[in-house]
Amino acid sequence: MANYFNTLPLRAQLAELGKCRFMHLNEFSDGVEALRGKKMVVIGCGAQGLNQGLNLRDSGLDVSYALRDEAIAQQRQSWKNATENGFTVGTYEELLPTADVVLNLTPDKQHTNVVETIMPMMKHGACLSYSHGFNIVEEGMQVRDDITVIMVAPKCPGSEVRAEYVRGFGVPTLIAVHEDNDPNGVGLALAKAYAVGTGGHKAGVLMSSFIAEVKSDLMGEQTILCGMLQTGSLLCFDKMVDEGIDAAYASKLIQYGWETITEALKYGGVTNMMDRLANPAKIRAFELSEELKDIMRDLYNKHQDDIMTGAFSSGMMADWANDDAKLLGWRADTAETPFEKTPASDMEIAEQEYFDNGILMVAMVKAGVELAFETMTAAGIIAESAYYESLHETPLIANTIARKKLYEMNATISDTAEYGCYLYNHACVPLLADFMTGITSDMIGKGLDIADTGVDNAHLIEVNEAIRSHPVETIGSVLRGHMADMKRIV
Amino acid sequence: MIRLDALSVDFDERFQLHDIKWTLRPGEHWLITGANGSGKSALAAVLAGDGDRLSGTLEGVPERVALVSYERQADLIAAERRKDDADILDVMSEGTPVAEILGDGCEDLDLARNLVDTLGARPLMNRAFRKLSTGETRKVMLIRALTSRADLLVLDEPFDGLDHDSLIWLQGHLCELAETTPMVIVLNRFDECPDFVTHVAYVDDGRLPLCVERGDEQAYAELYQLLHLKTSDLEIPAADPAAQLPALDPDKPLVQLTGATVRYADNTVFEGLDWTIEPNQSWQLSGPNGSGKTCLLQLITGDHPQCYVNDINIFGYQRGTGESIWEIKQFIGYVSTALQWEYTVSTGLRNVIISGFYDSIGLYTKSTDAEKTIADEWLALLGISDRAEEPFNRLSFGDQRLVLIARAMVKHPPLLILDEPCLGLDDMNRQLVLALVERICLGSETSVLYVNHREQDRVAGIDNHLTLSDNTGA
Repeated sequence: MANYFNTLPLRAQLAELGKCRFMHLNEFSDGVEALRGKKMVVIGCGAQGLNQGLNLRDSGLDVSYALRDEAIAQQRQSWKNATENGFTVGTYEELLPTADVVLNLTPDKQHTNVVETIMPMMKHGACLSYSHGFNIVEEGMQVRDDITVIMVAPKCPGSEVRAEYVRGFGVPTLIAVHEDNDPNGVGLALAKAYAVGTGGHKAGVLMSSFIAEVKSDLMGEQTILCGMLQTGSLLCFDKMVDEGIDAAYASKLIQYGWETITEALKYGGVTNMMDRLANPAKIRAFELSEELKDIMRDLYNKHQDDIMTGAFSSGMMADWANDDAKLLGWRADTAETPFEKTPASDMEIAEQEYFDNGILMVAMVKAGVELAFETMTAAGIIAESAYYESLHETPLIANTIARKKLYEMNATISDTAEYGCYLYNHACVPLLADFMTGITSDMIGKGLDIADTGVDNAHLIEVNEAIRSHPVETIGSVLRGHMADMKRIV
Repeated sequence: MIRLDALSVDFDERFQLHDIKWTLRPGEHWLITGANGSGKSALAAVLAGDGDRLSGTLEGVPERVALVSYERQADLIAAERRKDDADILDVMSEGTPVAEILGDGCEDLDLARNLVDTLGARPLMNRAFRKLSTGETRKVMLIRALTSRADLLVLDEPFDGLDHDSLIWLQGHLCELAETTPMVIVLNRFDECPDFVTHVAYVDDGRLPLCVERGDEQAYAELYQLLHLKTSDLEIPAADPAAQLPALDPDKPLVQLTGATVRYADNTVFEGLDWTIEPNQSWQLSGPNGSGKTCLLQLITGDHPQCYVNDINIFGYQRGTGESIWEIKQFIGYVSTALQWEYTVSTGLRNVIISGFYDSIGLYTKSTDAEKTIADEWLALLGISDRAEEPFNRLSFGDQRLVLIARAMVKHPPLLILDEPCLGLDDMNRQLVLALVERICLGSETSVLYVNHREQDRVAGIDNHLTLSDNTGA
């Protein structure tokens, strides 16, 4: 199988990358009709598989679960999840030949295997749905001509997909149709009905392409989402310890700091995150982020280039073929870092203190979000996609670090994200070595030691203007506006 | 001796206690009472170190204070939810088992074992704390507090949510404990005031205007009266004529369950249950904690996944034949403690009531003027017109309940499900709720399904009873 993206002519590549449109609610007026009475069979009963199935069934659709023989025979967790929730469970052979839509919700790495196994069993004219396009775009999976291939990807963890549906709402969802596999022209109707079935249409649906989804998703996860937070954690911790700050305090400031800082990002973008700092600190964070962006710009470009050429995915697939030797080695290294090995202090840190004492962390988030966004849009990815894959998802990863630190964060994100995260980290840590020598504890650990919080008006206006006029803020305020009704405490 | 002098305390800027003067002497046991939102729980929580002191002094509080309260319960459940790995990515997690929650801070293992058996909590030990029912969670919180060998026991509504047997036992146990441990108890119900209580503190609007000795019969009676103030002129706002529900066949049952069964891998909650609810027929459902009352209700509301493997005919739909849960929910109004915990939104009260038109938690659609008018009528009925824009999550527990009942009734559903609606309410609001429920029962358009296990909360007009039996083996 060959990289699908690379088989396309440039004009088609650009057209596919540029696909992303926020759909209007009235485009979903047909509800779930396109799927009504159709037999939907889910493969993979993890959090996404189970929770999407629960939503689809509650929307009046016919959902069952196909599990491997051994999962049924040994009554594994996936079997329990499906049966305790009252779903029909059967083997591939039992369920797939009559399925109208097969929902492949297994991890990326299993896709080739799963799809090759199920394809011969699927009936003529059925639909195969993905929630991530890696298999099609990077691995070049060729799906049988008569099969419709679509993607429906809720942009939140499975438990939230369910919780928001039960509230009467949904989570933002990306849909796409694989143009090479839409023989009957029904792909879009099916994808829209699926998004309605999971409740996604209420929170906003992005009509994208397999290619735009893959190329933006990979870029976001390996740079700002996982990579920047990993690199930032390691560098900030070591710096604080060097500066004589209590290691347990440093560990806590970082572990929970990302979550606290990016919570502000989630609600009001980079602008709000920066506004949480006092004016002198905000100006300092701004300067640091500008410096960081200059240093890291080439690295972000390289990541985007490698994703575009397929160099990234072929490197990773070589490691898959080699029993994940590199991945597992890097994962083990992460466990041995001083940050990872230092338990967080049990002292209380006030919410505002995470900002005041974490100026460098704020700067890193800002630099990472903006660079990832700039790099993606420069590569032809449309702003909506770039926003979701950078700013929107950063709090989700920050949240996993708060609960589990880096090792477990890496073990729980997808293998694809984890592999990319290590690549980024290995390049970025040495890249920032010089920069870090200039950092002192007033920027990370202690906060600015100044009695006078006054600033120059003109300078402040200039900084605020630069923060607020960044394109990620422009698109962000539009997209967050669509979700304004989600106001709630979490 | 514990002494609060001119003490003012702030709770996250959403509630303040003002100028509290209060002395608790050795040998005294206190009851704190007052209307919903008056600050009873806040005053109790101050003894456990909660809140930020603004001025005044607080002296003599022992180091080890055990507090049982809805707020603590909610905190613990919220903490469990935050731990939930399912939030991270594609991993299912069960949460902390009860045994671990109980082990944390336990100073008396023998007593803990004894309590676990007496309160029938043995079958809960390996289950995840956050998956327990309301009553079960409460039991776990109580056992934790009682086994902590605290020097002061602060119990905020300790009897709420307990079934009859557990309640009698706990009252007995507290009597014994009162010999050695000073206690402060918050109760909305005067009639449950344990015999050992020597003093009553009456809280009103964040202040402590009255402290009454139990022996002073006249003062005690007046206080009782104060809390029993009845509300009159109750009028239920009309439904929205523009939002008519689809007509139901008047000759068909609203709900028909045939051989209903809920079963997990290791536990059958109930099986073979037949139940028919006819139009205009109200029911009371009772049964001990864990007997499956909530599961049964969830089969009806569509919130239990096993509703798809049961024979349920509801509002003309046979479940599992292509109907959506929203088609079912449109005919149901629903109130429960669990809903209250789920309803963690900062949206205003008016919007919370309007969300009843959409069966949603939070409001995601622009509301009509008619809906706003009706919501305002409900707020007036509840006596909180001036708080229409106040965020829901800043209300006291009891006021939240009243608002959620209004939310459930706002569309005049054919079926109103009230799952222990008086849980956590004070005397006055309890009377209000019960009067409201009675009024709804007398009207012809809504069937009420009322769950409780407390004799004194019976409602006139509900003449059908279904009792679930214990299945936990306790």
